[in-house]
Amino acid sequence: MIKQTLLGLTVVVAPALAFAHSKSEATTPADGATVTEVPELSMRFDDPMRIISVTLTSPDGDVEIERETGMDPATEFRALPLEELAPGSYRFDWRGMASDGHPMQGSFSFTVAE
Amino acid sequence: MTGLAPIDGLVVLAILAKAIGYGAALLAMGGVLFSVVFAKHAEASVLRLAKQLAVCAALVGLAVLAIRFGIRAARISGMGFDGATDPMMLGFVWESPLGTAAIWRGIGELAILAILLPRFGHWISLVGSVAIATSFAQVGHALGEPRSALAVLIVLHLLAAAFWVGALIPLRRAALAPDGADLLHYFGNLAAGGVAALILAGTSLAWLLSGSTTALFGTAYGLALLVKVAIVAVLLGFATWNKLRLVPALRSQKPGAVHALRRSISMEIMAVALILLATATLTSVTTPPVNL
Repeated sequence: MIKQTLLGLTVVVAPALAFAHSKSEATTPADGATVTEVPELSMRFDDPMRIISVTLTSPDGDVEIERETGMDPATEFRALPLEELAPGSYRFDWRGMASDGHPMQGSFSFTVAE
Repeated sequence: MTGLAPIDGLVVLAILAKAIGYGAALLAMGGVLFSVVFAKHAEASVLRLAKQLAVCAALVGLAVLAIRFGIRAARISGMGFDGATDPMMLGFVWESPLGTAAIWRGIGELAILAILLPRFGHWISLVGSVAIATSFAQVGHALGEPRSALAVLIVLHLLAAAFWVGALIPLRRAALAPDGADLLHYFGNLAAGGVAALILAGTSLAWLLSGSTTALFGTAYGLALLVKVAIVAVLLGFATWNKLRLVPALRSQKPGAVHALRRSISMEIMAVALILLATATLTSVTTPPVNL
């Protein structure tokens, strides 16, 4: 019951929300971009961010990536796809903690074209 | 909406836990402040209630502190509830400002328990109250600049709020006591100064974190703050009504005065609960405009 209520709340509230807190960090590939290849995935932050979990998903499911940046707070995060990304749409999600202790999360999407 | 973080089930839980933590901290600090300030004015049963309230609130506060660590670990982990007990995630939370704040809060809430000790007990618990208030200056946007001004204002804001919030339940009991009207009248006079300090400190904090009046209307932080202020206005309405009408009615032993005052104080308690919920939302999912 509680779980359903919480889930309901999420569904109702989520679409109205946009990500904020850390200032608009640059990502590679850029959010919404269409690219032909993805040599690396990266994000920049204006303040050190401890990135804890990252996932790259395509319509077919999770895509394996290798982190170059560890879990220590950093202003730049880098990860590499283990294999060349096939054409399609991708979404990169991350979670972590800002230096003031706030839990943070964000995502960016891009499309790989042939 | 600008400056609003995504909200999921864990965030809702985090907000609820934070609001309960706020309430526990205020009641623990306030129970101590009440029993020290009104030691000579309140009758024994009312003082006993204030001390019991402080002790129970401190124990609830300690439990909520532990739960909040788990929720925070789960939120940052991306593993859902499994992250709540993950040693590595808990370690990250411990290393963060929440860890520092937890030490201040935990020690403060333990020191509150000393209110039960004879002789120096109330001094230890007073130090505990200040430690709890100080813990709030160790996290989040209180760490921004000007840091010392923000810290002093937050400590002042919390002690003044605690004095008010912690007095509500003992005063509700005092309304039933034979000499209760005098205590309520005395509280009303002291609270006028306390409320002025509370509002002044709160407004200064809001001004430092908002940066401009226009920021209040276009951001999630501003909107949540306006909701909070609106409920505070209702609370002030009840408090003023009590001070100017209901307490004088109680003093002149008008029929129905006890019931009316106790009901009005209950409404104040409900307003406080809503304010704490609004504040927990404000400090959990919105970003102060100066940080945008």
